[in-house]
Amino acid sequence: MSSTAAVGAIDHHHDPTTSTGIPNKKLVMWAFLASDCMFFGCLISTHLIYRLHPPANAPQARQVFSIELTSFSTFILLMSSLMMALSVNAIQKGNLKSLRASLLTTIFFGCIFLGCQVYEFNNFVFERHMTITNSILGTTFFTLTGTHGTHVAIGVFWLLLMYVRSFQPSDPETRPSWFLGNVFHVVVFIAAILLCGYVAIELAWALEARGASLGSLGLFARDHGLAIAGAAAALAGLVRLGRTRGPYAFGEANAIDVEMMGLYWHFVDIVWIVIFTAVYLLEYL
Amino acid sequence: MSAPAAPEASHGHTTLEEGKFQIYVQIAMLLAVITGIEIITVYLPFAKWLLVTVLVVFSAVKFLFVIFFFMHLRWDKPFCTILFFIGLILGGGTMFALLKLFGMRESLPLPLP
Repeated sequence: MSSTAAVGAIDHHHDPTTSTGIPNKKLVMWAFLASDCMFFGCLISTHLIYRLHPPANAPQARQVFSIELTSFSTFILLMSSLMMALSVNAIQKGNLKSLRASLLTTIFFGCIFLGCQVYEFNNFVFERHMTITNSILGTTFFTLTGTHGTHVAIGVFWLLLMYVRSFQPSDPETRPSWFLGNVFHVVVFIAAILLCGYVAIELAWALEARGASLGSLGLFARDHGLAIAGAAAALAGLVRLGRTRGPYAFGEANAIDVEMMGLYWHFVDIVWIVIFTAVYLLEYL
Repeated sequence: MSAPAAPEASHGHTTLEEGKFQIYVQIAMLLAVITGIEIITVYLPFAKWLLVTVLVVFSAVKFLFVIFFFMHLRWDKPFCTILFFIGLILGGGTMFALLKLFGMRESLPLPLP
């Protein structure tokens, strides 16, 4: 583990070496988030403008949306924000074990959110027949929520890289192949996310189509045996690669990097707070 | 004179970091409760303008809690707040202007021939 002897000695909010007193990485991130506010502001206004003047025979948003699923996604994203804040808190105290646990939970919640979005998009396209091209509501809705989903996916990837980075050894001489090992760790992690996501979404569709019973679960296991085995193998690989192996270079001094990632993740959350109200809830009034 | 103050400052800093855990959990619970109230609000039989106002206020409260506590603006230098609010005001102002412009009767799309 990294040294925790000087916990609390670093001031994480101020940097006396810069002319502004703000760490440069933090300044750049805030400037980027400010620009992203304008980007999302335009996408949200476009959606709301077209909602002001829906063309004749346009699909009724209220009949397409599912408030239960969206509320669940919103709750999950809020909880992921809490776990992200706890990750930053953990690394600021130099607690690597707690950081990894919080990062993994944040990644898990982020993946659930993305899974819900994939399920929702599938449902809209195949069940409700609303695509990105057949109505203005579809165009503005899929562009806005798809862009937000892309931001979440980038955030999950960044979280994943940060998690794997925390395994960098403090003395590379003791483990010369650590870099290749970390690359392999990333590949296994991505495989686990994709396979688990695929299995979860297919399972949801199968249970919806055939009903929840042991028979339908058995049929599902028979049809998707390879994907289930692959997901289990990837998860087992993640557990093995996540074991503690000697001292690590990642510590309290890296808190600024985790905080930057946290700023991005919380921003994704606040954008969803606005989308949830402006795009979903307003349709129910 | 400044030497003895350093351990106190460090102790205060550590206490702040310890206290943040409680703050984060309490805020997350508060945000979850507000989200629940928002969902109930849309089904209440009140005037639309009142419900829209309530939803906008709830969203703003959630937004501000996240940026000031989870994103640490409360503890960071004020310049970070100013920088972010420049983007926020520009984005929000653009939204407001576009909605006003396209909300006018003259902006209604022409009927199809």
